[in-house]
Amino acid sequence: MTDIAGTTKALSAIFMKELKHYTRYPGNLAFLFAIPFLFTFMLSAMGTFVGGSNAAQYFFQRTGTQNFFVYQILGSAIWIMTWVVIEDLGSALRNEQIKGTLEQNFLAPINRFLLLVGVALAHIVISALIFIGVVFATVLVLQPGSLLSLFLAMLTLILGLTPMFGIAFIFSGFVIRFKEPYAFTQIVNMIFAVLAGTYYPVSVLPSWLQIVSRIIPQTYLIEDMRLIILFNKSLVDLYGHFILLGVMALVYPALGYYFFKRFENRAKVTGDLSKF
Amino acid sequence: MPLVEVQALSKTFETKEGRLFNRVAKKVTALDGVSFTISKGEILGLLGPNGAGKTTMIKMLCTLVQPSSGDAYVNGFSIMKAPGKVRENLGVMLTGERTLYWKLTGKENLEYFAALYHMNREESAKRIEYLLDLVGLKDRADTYVENYSTGMRIRLSFAKALLHDAPVLLFDEPTLGLDPQSSRLIREMILDLRKKGHAILLTTHYMEEADLLSDRVAIIDHGKIIAMAAPSALKQSVKSSDIIEIEARNLQPEIVERLKTFTDIYDAVALFNDSAAHSGVIKIHAEKGKEVLPGILDALVRRDIGVTKVTFIEPTLEDVFIELTGRGLRD
Ligand SMILES: Nc1ncnc2c1ncn2[C@@H]1O[C@H](COP(=O)(O)OP(=O)(O)O)[C@@H](O)[C@H]1O
Ligand SMILES: [Mg+2]
Repeated sequence: MTDIAGTTKALSAIFMKELKHYTRYPGNLAFLFAIPFLFTFMLSAMGTFVGGSNAAQYFFQRTGTQNFFVYQILGSAIWIMTWVVIEDLGSALRNEQIKGTLEQNFLAPINRFLLLVGVALAHIVISALIFIGVVFATVLVLQPGSLLSLFLAMLTLILGLTPMFGIAFIFSGFVIRFKEPYAFTQIVNMIFAVLAGTYYPVSVLPSWLQIVSRIIPQTYLIEDMRLIILFNKSLVDLYGHFILLGVMALVYPALGYYFFKRFENRAKVTGDLSKF
Repeated sequence: MPLVEVQALSKTFETKEGRLFNRVAKKVTALDGVSFTISKGEILGLLGPNGAGKTTMIKMLCTLVQPSSGDAYVNGFSIMKAPGKVRENLGVMLTGERTLYWKLTGKENLEYFAALYHMNREESAKRIEYLLDLVGLKDRADTYVENYSTGMRIRLSFAKALLHDAPVLLFDEPTLGLDPQSSRLIREMILDLRKKGHAILLTTHYMEEADLLSDRVAIIDHGKIIAMAAPSALKQSVKSSDIIEIEARNLQPEIVERLKTFTDIYDAVALFNDSAAHSGVIKIHAEKGKEVLPGILDALVRRDIGVTKVTFIEPTLEDVFIELTGRGLRD
C-alpha cells in the first residue's frame, strides 16, 4: 500500500474510533448541547437584574444590536466549542494513558502527529455539531434572515478552531507528562472566556489586557461570528481577521506539536507513557 | 544474522519521593548492561522475579521507553536511530488486559490496530478472521470487549500482537493471571509461531513456562542477566546438589536462616503459597541430602513446623535461580 493511502487509512481509523467513543457515552454529548443555553439564560437573567428596565436599551448602545440572546449564545457556544477542543484532546489521550491503550497506539509505526490530528478532526466534527445544534437553532428562531450568513460563520469556525488545536497539542503533551488533566485546561479555559469577550465586547477590558486578547484566536472567532450573523458582514469586510487566523492556524499547531514532542520525549525517559 | 541483537542496554529511572517541599531524587537501575541475541525460529525466555527488569526490557525494545545507554537492533534496525522501522518489525503483547478499547468490539479493536499498521482492507479482513478463529473468539467477535472475560481479553490482545505478522514478537508475561486452559492455548500458539520462523522474546516469572517454551533461558535479577543457556544445560549446572522439597504448615520464614547454618546446606528458601499465608514449601540445596535430612526434620519439629511431605526432586529452573541468588523466584 502506498504511504499516502496508508496514512489516510490510519487517520480515518483514529477519527472513527474517537467518534465511536463519543457516541458510546451519549450523556456527555447532551451536556455539551445544554450548557450554552444554560449560560445564556443565566447571563440574561443577571443582565435584567442588574440593568433593570433599561438593560436592553443599554445593551443596544454598547453593542449596536438588540438581539441580546443571539449575541450571548454565540459567545457561549464558541466558548464550549473551544473548551471541547482544548480539553478533550488532552483528556482523550489521558484516558487512553490510564486505560493502557495509549501505549498500544504508540507501538504502531505511525507518526504521533497523525494520532493528534485524527483525534482533533473528530473534535472538529463534535464542535461543528454543537454549532449546528445550538447556533443554527437559535438563529433560525430569533433571526431567520441570517440563514445564509450561517454558512460563512461555519467556515470561520473551522478556520478559527484550527489554531486552538495548537493549544490543545501543548495541553496533550502536558497531560502525558504530568498526568494532571484539568489543572491546566480549566484555568486556560476560564482565562480565555474572560479575555476573548465571551459575553461582552473585548473593548470593556483594560487596554493592557486587550493586547493579550489579541493573541487568542477565540477572540477573533467570537467577534467575527457576531459581525457575520448580527451585522451581515461578509468575507471582504473581515479579510484582515481571516489572514490573521490563517497565520495562527499554521503557526500555533506547529508550535503546539513542538511542545508535545518535547513532553513525549521526556515521558519516554521517565517511562510515563503508561503511568497513572 | 540474529533478528534481535541487544547490546549493553541499561536503564536508570529517576523518580522523586517524599512530600511536596521535601522531595528527594531517587535512582532505580532497572536494567544494567544487558546483552543477548535471538535468531529466527528461536524463543528466548527472560525469567526473573517481580521487579527484575523484564517489562523495562520489552518497553525499550519496542521504543516506548528510552534507554539510558546501549542500543538494540530489531531485524537490523536500531531502536535509537530508526524507532519507526523497529515498530514495523515488532509484534508486541504487553502485560494484562488493559491494552484494548473496552467500548469497541473485539473485531473493531483488531480493525483499528490493523489500520494503524497500514494494512489494506482485504488483507486485514482475512487476517482478522483467521486470528479471531485462532484465539477462539470467532463467535464473540462482535461483543464489546468490556463484556469479555479476562481470558478472552488476553487472547484478543495476543491476536493483536500477531496482526501484521511481524518477524519479531515480544510477549510480556503472556499468561499472567490466566486460567489454565487459556494459558495452555497461548503456550501452544507461541510454539507454533516459533515453527513459523518468528524470533520470540518471552518474559515470565513462571519457571515451568520458561522451561517448556524456551530454546534458551536468560535468568534476570536486579536488572542483570546472571545466567543464559538452554533450560537443560541450566538445570544440569545444579545437578551436583541434592534438592529437597519440604511441604509444611505453620511455616516461619526465620527457619531458613537456621537451616543455612548447617555445613552441608548450600541454600535454603521458604516459598509461601499465595492462598494460605502460613503454608508453603522449603527448598533445600544440600551436599548429601539423605545425611542432612534427619537434622533438618529435627530443626523443623523443634519449631512446631508441621511437615506434610518430603520429596527429593530433579532440579528446576527455580533451583538454578536459588543457587545463583539464594532467593526464590516467587518472593
Ligand atoms: N516508569 C518507572 N519509573 C520508575 N521506576 C520504574 C519505572 N518502571 C519500572 N521501574 C522500576 O524498575 C524496576 C524493574 O521494573 P520492571 O521492568 O517492571 O520489572 P518486571 O517486569 O521484571 O517485574 C523496578 O524496580 C521498578 O520499580
Ligand atoms: Mg513486568
